[in-house]
Amino acid sequence: MSESLPPAERLLNLVIALVNTPGRMTKEQIRTSVAGYEHTPSTEAFERMFERDKDTLRELGVPVLTVASPAHGDDLGYRIDSDAYALPPMQLTAAQLGVLALAAEFWQDQALRTDAARALVKLSVVGVSAPQTDAIAGLAPRLHPAGPALGPLLDAAEGRQLVSFTYRAASTGDVLERVVEPWSLLARRGGWYLVGRDTVRDAPRVFRLSRIVGPVRLLGSPGAFLVPVDADPRSLLRDSGHDELRTARFAVAPDRAGALRARATAAEEVPADLVAPEGWDLIAVPYTRTGDLADEVAAYTDAVVVLGPAGLRESVVRRLRDAVRLAEVVGSAPAGEGTHG
Amino acid sequence: MAERTPERLVRLLGLVAYLDGRTGVPVDEVARHFGVTSAQVLRDIDTLWVTGTPGYFPDDLIDFDADSLESGVVRITQVRGMARPLRLGTREAVALLAALRALAEAVGPSLDSADAGVLQSTIDLITAATGSAAATGSAAATVDVQLTVDGSPQVLTAARTALRDGRRLHLRYVDAADRTSERDVDPWQLVTGDERSYLAGWCHTVGGERLFRLDRILAAEVTTTPVVTRQTRTDTGFHPSASDPLVTIILDRRARWAAEQLPVESVVELDDGGFEVAIRVTSPAWLRRLLLRLAPWVRGVEPPEAALDAAAAARRALAAYGDEPAVVDAAPGSERLGTSDSSVDG
Repeated sequence: MSESLPPAERLLNLVIALVNTPGRMTKEQIRTSVAGYEHTPSTEAFERMFERDKDTLRELGVPVLTVASPAHGDDLGYRIDSDAYALPPMQLTAAQLGVLALAAEFWQDQALRTDAARALVKLSVVGVSAPQTDAIAGLAPRLHPAGPALGPLLDAAEGRQLVSFTYRAASTGDVLERVVEPWSLLARRGGWYLVGRDTVRDAPRVFRLSRIVGPVRLLGSPGAFLVPVDADPRSLLRDSGHDELRTARFAVAPDRAGALRARATAAEEVPADLVAPEGWDLIAVPYTRTGDLADEVAAYTDAVVVLGPAGLRESVVRRLRDAVRLAEVVGSAPAGEGTHG
Repeated sequence: MAERTPERLVRLLGLVAYLDGRTGVPVDEVARHFGVTSAQVLRDIDTLWVTGTPGYFPDDLIDFDADSLESGVVRITQVRGMARPLRLGTREAVALLAALRALAEAVGPSLDSADAGVLQSTIDLITAATGSAAATGSAAATVDVQLTVDGSPQVLTAARTALRDGRRLHLRYVDAADRTSERDVDPWQLVTGDERSYLAGWCHTVGGERLFRLDRILAAEVTTTPVVTRQTRTDTGFHPSASDPLVTIILDRRARWAAEQLPVESVVELDDGGFEVAIRVTSPAWLRRLLLRLAPWVRGVEPPEAALDAAAAARRALAAYGDEPAVVDAAPGSERLGTSDSSVDG
């Protein structure tokens, strides 16, 4: 065997050795007989390498079992049980593999991309034939990256382990340390949310992942809590106001704001107190996020007037005032501008 | 870019389990099956050939039929007990299932029964395969992704039909500059995202590759004309060209996110934490929307016309809210509103 055996080759030899060993292998047997370990310069170097390799294998779903010697309890040995790592018997058609290939393209976060790609390789093994990539023709699902908090939160939610993180409150901008039982992670409209029990407030809360400042830490041990059977993360998110469905009413200039009109649900009666300009239309548009809709509507400037709700109207007026200020910024504003707001 | 060790190991183990029980598979078919090159398959076989149980005598090693391989067909003759395929890790299963479920929820109703059946049976198989691994099947609820397919059901169905049958679409589309147009489009891909969805394709009306926002397609009709163009690259991102005019915007430090989200050509840091970005502008309407969105943090724009346009239009808009002093608008640049431009938002 070569002195610098590639790590993949060493790990493969380790797996094959530990699957085929009649009982168990001790560390010394592994060090002296498994190809790839024989040139480790010291016991410490071997131990480090072996621990790292065990971690890698566990991560891949191949657990290395520790077996105590029947005679000497301290004398540890190792083996791998192929029943413990095997996929249940199953078969995938070319079309099903094609759909899975599509699903693997979904994630833009590096960690989840890697997980999905690895799962696809594992499942290819039970594929009857090569993936049929025109399955569900032309669909390309894409998800925005969630950022670094998603990976650890997923691990914690899967393992039912407590997490702590620093969180910036939306309303006040205050930064507070939170300790949370992570129940569920939800992606909606370009945003990622954590739903879980805030242990300080002792109540379910919704956290937006983009407002988590710095790293997410896993606390204690796995299996530390149970998600209540009646927990309903979707409703909690909806009720938190992050994702509440509302209806906006607009007056729209003739033949303008086509995209807004396309989403209109129903024509509305002209409220008595509103004098719409001649030829303008009144439309109602469902929406969930005020900020996004205010950005869109403000971009139409004088082609759209918000009739309600008041919060949306204020958001749009605030944006328009900021926009008026642009004229000063570039240095050609007529005198007397920009004093309002 | 060297492949990471865990990825290579998973494929090496996968290859052994895949080849076990198969009578012989051509190298290029193995490559297609695992989504790698034929050269990579041969390198993997070379590696497998020298691995085995301690001792590493010929009988200890994983072995292939050398004659068969000579003629380009892979046949494994000794698997050294490695015939079992690897089960999915919890996160691996979650990553695939969340994507599949999101897809089923978002586009399920627009799929024909064959495609819908494939999607649902895949979800069922993966769920069953991970049932034991993910304890109580908790993988189901841990990640919940909703895609946003915000086009009308009629538009979505037409797009799906045209994609499936390779037919040209006739669209009525309203662009970012709020102009409605009729277009003939070869559909390539329906990009369904968590924030919004797009139809990617070749627009015969303007003679170029375009991304159409699904919620801006007012109507779509499947024609009998077959699709004649093909997607040349797989990323359907935003690609300004070097011939587009360059605009510089000076921004306050609080607009730092903009530098990360915009297709900027360059960023110059300023002493006070502010910064200056240079952006290629494909459409004046797009620039105006950008300036309106960044307005609170804009400290300068060069050339200034777009900012003046936006400010003048905003002042007229405020008048409708009774917010603006009744100043008759005579700002310079207001006549530039509605500047004609044929590009489409991307």
